[in-house]
Amino acid sequence: MSANEREQSTRAEFDSYEVAVERLEQIIDRLDSGQAGLRETLDLCGEGRELVTYCAAELDAVGEGLKELKLDELAAKLDAGAV
Amino acid sequence: MDGEAISQVEVAPRPGPDLPGPFGVGRYARKLQEEMRRRARVLLIGEVTGVGRSKVQAYFELRDGEGAVPCAIWLDDLEKAGLPAGGLRDGAEVVVAGGPDYYPGGGQASPSFSFRATHVRLAGEGDLLARLEALRKQLKAEGLFELQKQLARPLLPKTIGVVTAESGAARRDLLAGLERRGWRGTVVWAFAPVQDRHAAPAIAAAIQGLAAQPQVEAIVVTRGGGSLADLWAFCDETLCRTVAMLRVPVVSAVGHERDSTLIDDVAAVACSTPTHAAEAAVPLDCLAARGSLGRGVASLRRAAEGAIPARTPHLVALARGPARALRREQLALNQKTREIRAASERGIAERLGFQRRLASVVLERARRRAAGPELERRREALRQAAVALRAHEPERTLERGYALVEGADGEPVTSSADAVAAARVKLRFADGRVAATIDSEPPAADAEASERDSR
Repeated sequence: MSANEREQSTRAEFDSYEVAVERLEQIIDRLDSGQAGLRETLDLCGEGRELVTYCAAELDAVGEGLKELKLDELAAKLDAGAV
Repeated sequence: MDGEAISQVEVAPRPGPDLPGPFGVGRYARKLQEEMRRRARVLLIGEVTGVGRSKVQAYFELRDGEGAVPCAIWLDDLEKAGLPAGGLRDGAEVVVAGGPDYYPGGGQASPSFSFRATHVRLAGEGDLLARLEALRKQLKAEGLFELQKQLARPLLPKTIGVVTAESGAARRDLLAGLERRGWRGTVVWAFAPVQDRHAAPAIAAAIQGLAAQPQVEAIVVTRGGGSLADLWAFCDETLCRTVAMLRVPVVSAVGHERDSTLIDDVAAVACSTPTHAAEAAVPLDCLAARGSLGRGVASLRRAAEGAIPARTPHLVALARGPARALRREQLALNQKTREIRAASERGIAERLGFQRRLASVVLERARRRAAGPELERRREALRQAAVALRAHEPERTLERGYALVEGADGEPVTSSADAVAAARVKLRFADGRVAATIDSEPPAADAEASERDSR
């Protein structure tokens, strides 16, 4: 699996914040339970890091500053192919 | 030929269905009017549109989502109704009393059908509530209340659409609610009138316009409180059907808590205030989420960094496992050995003790058997020795009449010469001593004879 393919499959898995954060919680619960073996722990940590990166990016996307648009402006931009 | 042709015309069957008539249309029109006027008089409720006036009448259509009836009221009757100025206007919700009527027209005048209203009043809260209830029942029966509620609402939308009045507290409150969530994404405003008769179609168009934007993930419809008549646009059947069928979740926050409009029923979520609507449109508290993500990162780091060290003691324990097992076996083995040895020693000792006890009993008996006469003999010898010894004691001799001569120092005087030399002696008898004086030199023979006689 190339890096590109891997990234695409990862993206497909994290199709929403809620899915990502739910998976992240599962991972942390599993790790906290202390029942995961070494191999599983390392895999889960790797997956968890990717999820955190995704979630942080999603939060950043709604954290920089409120943008306000009017519907007709947005529609006009769409018509002009600007968006 | 001609006669034949005429008779053919006379006997030709009349085309079309076999029905009574034909009648003169004017006469029929009057009959129709009579029949219409005989129909029951009722109350109708609906929205007034297309108001017009002649010299004697006012005309308008009364309509709702399902249909319309053309109405007419004599200006006299309208005046008696006492509506407020401009009360009979487009968009007004009114209740009219009357029945159907038909104007047959005339040689020049066009015929027309209308509902002849004799009374009219503005619809009150009660009328609106009754209508709302009927609409609610109908839409619910059609399952339209469930459609929006089945839609998945994104936890963290990046873009939300908002339908509201351009000026108003609702807009400000919504922004404050979003800010409190820590959400600073994109808001697409679709402003619309929220109160007049143009409101419902404009709101429906705005919602559809927002839903058509692919980036809009949720739509908020909001306005402040008011009377049910003020909020009536949000009970519009067409608007509510539009919302119900939308594939983007709609959050409604119309009026205050006690107000219940039909859009609240069909929306995915109904909120009591614009602030709550902000929370429903962005279910994730972004501020809290940032904190919890931070904790998640810490957990992952701890797990990753601790993965090896946490297992080291276990690994060490595992490595020690075989040696420990061996030692455990060794200890168990030693214990067994000790037990066996102790058991066998105990057995031997018991046997030995028994033999020893047995031997001592046997020996004692033998010894007693052997020692019996010997002991008797020794006892006898001892008794005889004691008798012999007593015979030699001086006291025994004195008892038989002998006396012992002692010097002044108490020493025995054993010769006559010593006695003369001592001059004064003591004579010791068995029962005591007496002093004696030696008065002469002893004649050797006499002394011996007298000594023999005195014995």
